[in-house]
Amino acid sequence: MTSRRVPLLPLLSAVLLPAAVAMVFFYAPTERTMGVVQKIFYFHLSLAAVAFLSFFVACVAGVLYLVRGKRRWDAWGAAGVEVGVVFTTLVLITGSLWGRPIWNTWWTWDPRLTTSLILWFIYTACLILRSAVESETRRATYAAVMAVAGFVDVPIVFLSARLFRSIHPTVIRSDSVGLEPSMIATLVVCMAAMLVFWAGLVRLRYGLHLQEAELGDLTRRLGG
Amino acid sequence: MSRVWFLYRKDLRIEFRKKESVASMTFFGALVLVILNVAQGPGRRLTPETAAGVLWVAVIFSAVLGLGRVFARERENGCISALLVSPASPGTVFTAKALVNLTLMLLSQAVLVPVFFVLFGTGLAGGPLALVPSLLLVDAGFSAAGTLLSAVSAGTRRNEVLLPILLFPLILPLVALAVKATGGALAGRPLTELLPLLEPLAAFGLIYAAAGYLLFPFVVREG
Repeated sequence: MTSRRVPLLPLLSAVLLPAAVAMVFFYAPTERTMGVVQKIFYFHLSLAAVAFLSFFVACVAGVLYLVRGKRRWDAWGAAGVEVGVVFTTLVLITGSLWGRPIWNTWWTWDPRLTTSLILWFIYTACLILRSAVESETRRATYAAVMAVAGFVDVPIVFLSARLFRSIHPTVIRSDSVGLEPSMIATLVVCMAAMLVFWAGLVRLRYGLHLQEAELGDLTRRLGG
Repeated sequence: MSRVWFLYRKDLRIEFRKKESVASMTFFGALVLVILNVAQGPGRRLTPETAAGVLWVAVIFSAVLGLGRVFARERENGCISALLVSPASPGTVFTAKALVNLTLMLLSQAVLVPVFFVLFGTGLAGGPLALVPSLLLVDAGFSAAGTLLSAVSAGTRRNEVLLPILLFPLILPLVALAVKATGGALAGRPLTELLPLLEPLAAFGLIYAAAGYLLFPFVVREG
């Protein structure tokens, strides 16, 4: 069913992603002190935003699954967790690549880094949990519970991580944005591209999970 | 409330007849402390914060052993269905199980903390009593989150392996705060100075007590 429709989101991201890359390298000015290394920031921030968004989607889908018990909420939750883990992995890698030349270390126990890492652990555990349960409804319930239990951990994680000193730059504050106008434009395009790409991926995985579940139904009907 | 007390007594009675959890928790925890003491090498002193880290590694690793049994026992003989048809609500079962686990942790720590002071205590300003507030708060948070996840992992094929994998990421912030708080207590700082660390510990316990109470019914109904 899903395959017959025009793949709008993938097509749009096929246009937007190269445009964002082009803007990062040819339009945005090179930062004075950090040089070319700073350019990874556009991808880093966009990835981080959509990674957090996918965990939020997984948590909301988890609550809805527990309340409604519909298969599609489990599929949304599974898609959110999968894509979120991939994007968080990329956030951690891009952050480390930037941190090595700028902070002179691959890793530091900063609130944001710690929160991302712990979220990565929680939702990777969620993926492992999914693979360990056979029965479909049981897997869906457990995954939903884990997604919700993981998300309510976020405030405490952030609170505890504040104990460590922070050297992470705060580019976007509530009162001002510490960027050139052309840099802001690049960032906006980059975020939009990443958001479309993310939505496309989540949509794709969602469809795949639904099809897998339907296939399971058919197999059972044939077998029994 | 009387039902919570009833279930709590039932579990503790089983525990004291079989003595399977507390004994292995304490033994394993002491073993971890000895291994870490050997790894540290003779004649070296630890800073209070590193010593706190050592204590928490032993406590958390030993606690997860007992936690796995809290639910596995109910699953093995199908007792969980009997619990569900009993007049006790799933929330009551959750509360009772969390309290049982809290008791087991406190009992094993009554041995582990003295062992810790024997092995690592030289040169630490704070005594065992200074650790009591943070131990109580962490045990409560650990029991709340742990009881929920032990119900989840008991329903899977790989119970023993899965429980620490699911639980440790969630309690990472708890351990980070606990190490800071106990490190301060071991360095001899007064309780009032440690309050900013103890408050988030209490918040963790409350959040997971609420989350566990609400989510637990969904998990146990998936018999």
